[in-house]
Amino acid sequence: MFARIYRVLTSLKLTVALLALGLILVFWGTLAQVNLGLYKAQNDFFRSFFIYWSPAWSSWKIPIFPGGYAIGWLLLVNLFAAHFRYYQPGQKKWGIVLIHLGVVLLLFGQLLTDVFSTESTMHLRNGETKNYSEASRHFELAVIDASAADSDKVVTISSHRLQRGGDITHEALPFTLRIRRYYPNSMPSEKPLPGYSQMETSAGFGNGIWWREMPHETDTDKRDMPSGIVELIGPGGALGSFAISSYFNRPQEFTYDGRPYRLVLRPTRFYKPFTVHLVEFKHDRYPGTDIPKNFSSRVRVQRPATGEDREVLIYMNNPLRYEGETYYQASFDTDDQGTVLQVVRNPSWLTPYFSCVMVGIGLTVQFLKSLVEFAKKRKQA
Amino acid sequence: MNFRILITAAVLLAGCGRNDINVYIVPKEAPPAPEPTTANAAPVRWVTPAGWEPQQAGDFRVASFKLTGAAGAQADVSIVPLPGEAGGDFSNVNRWRNQVGLPPVSETDFATLGQPVEIAGQPGKLYEQDGESSSILAAIQVRDGTTWFYKMTGAPALVTEQKPVFVAFLKSIQFQAAPAAAPSAEGTPQWNPPAGWAVAPAGQFLVAKFTVAGGAAAVNISTAPGDGGGVMPNVNRWRKQLGLEPATDATGLQEIETAAGRATVAEMNGEKAALVGVIVALPDRAWFYKLMGDAGAVSAHKAEFLQFVREVKY
Repeated sequence: MFARIYRVLTSLKLTVALLALGLILVFWGTLAQVNLGLYKAQNDFFRSFFIYWSPAWSSWKIPIFPGGYAIGWLLLVNLFAAHFRYYQPGQKKWGIVLIHLGVVLLLFGQLLTDVFSTESTMHLRNGETKNYSEASRHFELAVIDASAADSDKVVTISSHRLQRGGDITHEALPFTLRIRRYYPNSMPSEKPLPGYSQMETSAGFGNGIWWREMPHETDTDKRDMPSGIVELIGPGGALGSFAISSYFNRPQEFTYDGRPYRLVLRPTRFYKPFTVHLVEFKHDRYPGTDIPKNFSSRVRVQRPATGEDREVLIYMNNPLRYEGETYYQASFDTDDQGTVLQVVRNPSWLTPYFSCVMVGIGLTVQFLKSLVEFAKKRKQA
Repeated sequence: MNFRILITAAVLLAGCGRNDINVYIVPKEAPPAPEPTTANAAPVRWVTPAGWEPQQAGDFRVASFKLTGAAGAQADVSIVPLPGEAGGDFSNVNRWRNQVGLPPVSETDFATLGQPVEIAGQPGKLYEQDGESSSILAAIQVRDGTTWFYKMTGAPALVTEQKPVFVAFLKSIQFQAAPAAAPSAEGTPQWNPPAGWAVAPAGQFLVAKFTVAGGAAAVNISTAPGDGGGVMPNVNRWRKQLGLEPATDATGLQEIETAAGRATVAEMNGEKAALVGVIVALPDRAWFYKLMGDAGAVSAHKAEFLQFVREVKY
């Protein structure tokens, strides 16, 4: 039994089959973006073990094709296994070894990118300064202790944790947060509508608003808008329940133990040890037309701890690389007075370069070896 | 052995990610945005049309109005900003259709529903949902990552009647610029109409229109590229509107100082109406301001009209 599995996993036919499946997957996944949008297509086709199909008459999910994770992992295992099966020490085939290792590094690097890389955005108006970027699809509940004169103590709780409900305690929080209700995607209404229920809270604003849960949003240009009810519980008992919602444009405010607090459900923030200040956003057009010629953001990066203070020009294909993050010119405000920078942190961004160099060297070595052997044989003949 | 290492690595990787709870000490943030309960605290300004009664704004609304029409018909107007796409236009329109008892539309049909409308100098979309007992007239515009909803809900006849006023109201909206933002080089200048002026539907060739003294007079604002045809042809155009003979020279014209430099003022009295016109010539275009109507009303409001023109920022 094990011998059979070993033979299948080490089979070179499996390699070819997996590569062929990979080709089909990329082709299919690319076409699927037309209807599903980029985000959903990426999740359904490449960030999954299987592609599922649901018959129109039921909610069943039937796996019909291997997804990106399944093909990637199998290819990785197959490459390793085949290598150990066919590699014979003493043979001078280190070109092949390099090629294999290069491909393994490429696959593994992609997995690392998938797991470790984060993408966020930094929206700045002209003259604005920020020390954080924001996730575009993830939210957090921030409990802000604003009692200090020059700094805020911020405790953030991920949307993921809020979804699990129950009581949340933490050494940095002087009270317990009890998640009464949390909808990862929601729709509020000022009036009663079919399917909506009334929010019942005892403190802050929002009591009496009508709301309902909405299905998870997967379109590229839409996102989930969570809402919930959180109750604060101190040592002496309940302190009050508050409505939290990504639809609110101001935080809930309260005082506890003489300290002012703010409670806000907001896009997840990634704080930086430096600030980025937008000096000027420029949207150049070709003279006499509305055709865009160039978008650029002149930013000032200041880092108080090191005294660093410099200006950088970010424009198309010329991002700012700083502190392991890359700041790309991604979008801008409709009135041309603000910019949106995409902030990508990818600790394994160098792996594709290394793997390409390894495969390149491996191929060159193999080719030269064959060439030399061929030339020798020809000479002898 | 090698498989075991791989599986261990995979499990470790799967367990990685951000913590559920994080604590930061960050430099003090700017104080929270002021409560959007009054017009002054919100980042938008508007000219309230005649007959619209301002109401207390709510948790979502930055402005709220009530209007009453014939036979006690009522309508409600709201301005609501929501972050992001706020569900998207398609689902919002279908939600409104559901509210007024209309069947949902398909995505293909939806694409033809939106009428272009100008909101604060930028394009928006206007959707009309006419039901049997209530109608919803709603405009949507996305500005800097926020979706702004301008909605009139009420009796169908009143909503239909108020549509031109609603469109003019949308046009009158102004967003306060970011503190460090440079003034816009293009688009509508910023003006501050005196109390008592009511925004009115602007015609095809007008940028804005206000009624003064309860409708006894009106202020029209229009613009044209270049010099707009010159001073005298425009003065004579105005004279013709009052039934006066064309003037042959610039005698009687005056000049005033405005934010954009000197401007020409023409005053004229016809048999039935009077007119005060101001021509502001900028390097690339000319702006025309006209106060016209009942002679008494024009005379009474001339000073505030000229002050209004002086303060317009281009």
